[in-house]
Amino acid sequence: MTTTPAPPTGGHVSRLSRLALPWAVSRLGFQRQFAYPQAALWGLITNSFFGLLRVAVLLALFGTRPQVAGYTPQDAITYTGLTQAFIMAFSLFGWFDFMRVIHRGEVTADLLRPASLLGFWAAQDAGRALGQLALRGLPMLLIFQVIWGLNWPPGPLAWAQVVLSVLLAWGCGFLFRFLVNCAAFWSPDAVGFGRFAWAVLGLGCGFLMPLAFFPEWFRALLAWTPFPAMLNTTVELWVGVTGGAAAWAALGTQLGWTVALLLACHVTLRAGLRRLEVAGG
Amino acid sequence: MADFRHHLTLYLRLLGAQIRSQGAHRTSFILDALGSLLITAAEFAALALVLPRFGGLGGWTLGEICLLYGLAELAFVLMDILFGGFDAPNLSAHVRSGSFSTFLLRPAPLTLQVFASDFALRRIPRVLLAAAIAGYGLTHAPLAAGPETAALLTAAVLGMICFFGGLFVIGGTLTFWTVDSVEAMNVLTYGGRTLISYPMDIYSAWLRRTFTYLIPAAFLSYLPALHLLGRPLPDGLPDWAALIGPLAGPLVLAAAFAFWRVGVRHYQGTGT
Repeated sequence: MTTTPAPPTGGHVSRLSRLALPWAVSRLGFQRQFAYPQAALWGLITNSFFGLLRVAVLLALFGTRPQVAGYTPQDAITYTGLTQAFIMAFSLFGWFDFMRVIHRGEVTADLLRPASLLGFWAAQDAGRALGQLALRGLPMLLIFQVIWGLNWPPGPLAWAQVVLSVLLAWGCGFLFRFLVNCAAFWSPDAVGFGRFAWAVLGLGCGFLMPLAFFPEWFRALLAWTPFPAMLNTTVELWVGVTGGAAAWAALGTQLGWTVALLLACHVTLRAGLRRLEVAGG
Repeated sequence: MADFRHHLTLYLRLLGAQIRSQGAHRTSFILDALGSLLITAAEFAALALVLPRFGGLGGWTLGEICLLYGLAELAFVLMDILFGGFDAPNLSAHVRSGSFSTFLLRPAPLTLQVFASDFALRRIPRVLLAAAIAGYGLTHAPLAAGPETAALLTAAVLGMICFFGGLFVIGGTLTFWTVDSVEAMNVLTYGGRTLISYPMDIYSAWLRRTFTYLIPAAFLSYLPALHLLGRPLPDGLPDWAALIGPLAGPLVLAAAFAFWRVGVRHYQGTGT
């Protein structure tokens, strides 16, 4: 079977109606998250328990020190609350949805839609992420605020930078996940490859520990990867470890990685779909 | 005795079938094993890499923490390999698909079949990593080498295997009634493993006491470790509590299998 590439969106399609499909897809992705409220509740309880343990370990590490690597104990609690809140929105434990669609061959049906494949999945994941943020992220922050108290961004500028950083962290993370899922075009063993990638992500993005605590050589190594842009940058902007000119530089780095990953996704997707055509034809 | 030997042969034969099927896709197996190994490696590296900056964790050195962390991880992974068939996601899949009913029809003990139904070979490299971490702990913590130490450490690992195995059996049994709320067991299994991987004096008193007296997790390795390191036990517990601590595991496992039998009877009662 040959696959038809998505028809180019011609001049006769108005700008507004071109946005109608991604909008609808996002909305459905958002709504789908609320289908199993009981599972979400249990997830919240489990995440809270692990948050409790992580806070205990971090506070024990600090001991009587008032500050380490720019973090106060209260910042470390805020870091834990934020990372626990973003687990589901950023799919930090992995994401195999696109892989499954490739394996089942359903990707050919996706290609028939009058929208770019990447844009379609990005819209769906944006809705999913927003749904998870509302359903699990905000309650998690509330729980942390009630139990320990959180540090919040100090002003409108810091808030704007944090919001921008969350968007870029999601974009960067989504593109990385999408790229890893593209491995399914070449290998039936992509699930194992994915598990490997998520383990690297967990350490590299600062989910397991704030990256500022790591030795210099390890941070220098991570600086050459897109992983810090997927979570750590956002946390550092929120707690104020990064501020001033460094904040803009950090956002610029996030943007740079997002663009680089976008290009990588385009190239990989094109090669993958060509391969699909060869294999199918 | 002959009966036991027959069951053991049967179990090993079922495992052989599992191993052959998992070895069929070599690359997939290697990647899965590496991924599973890397999860533990990343979690441990995150702690080991930052410890030098902080000097220690609540007065515990890296070697002492490795002892706790390595023992807990080693026991949990061995348990996962042994009891994987009882883990709720696996068992509930068998219950829902109806293949659990086929287990009941076969002329082999049901429990034995469940034991052999999900033997995840890909976890073997993780066992080696956990053993290496525990080994580092053994050589870098101030322990007295001797038969008592060896016996207590072995008992601690066996006790933890029984304890977490018991939790898996309870979680699996609950799937006979409900599929959803079994997620709560994850707090006790994976949460419990994480909890006892660190010195328990870093937790608030209510959390530590809950996981000492209500859920006897602290008895499994934390109290024996305190005893071996020459540290006092919490709450003024007598020293012998550390020596009999690992027995909490087999007790939990025995209770779990009693519950399992109730569950199986219930399952047969509603079967079609």
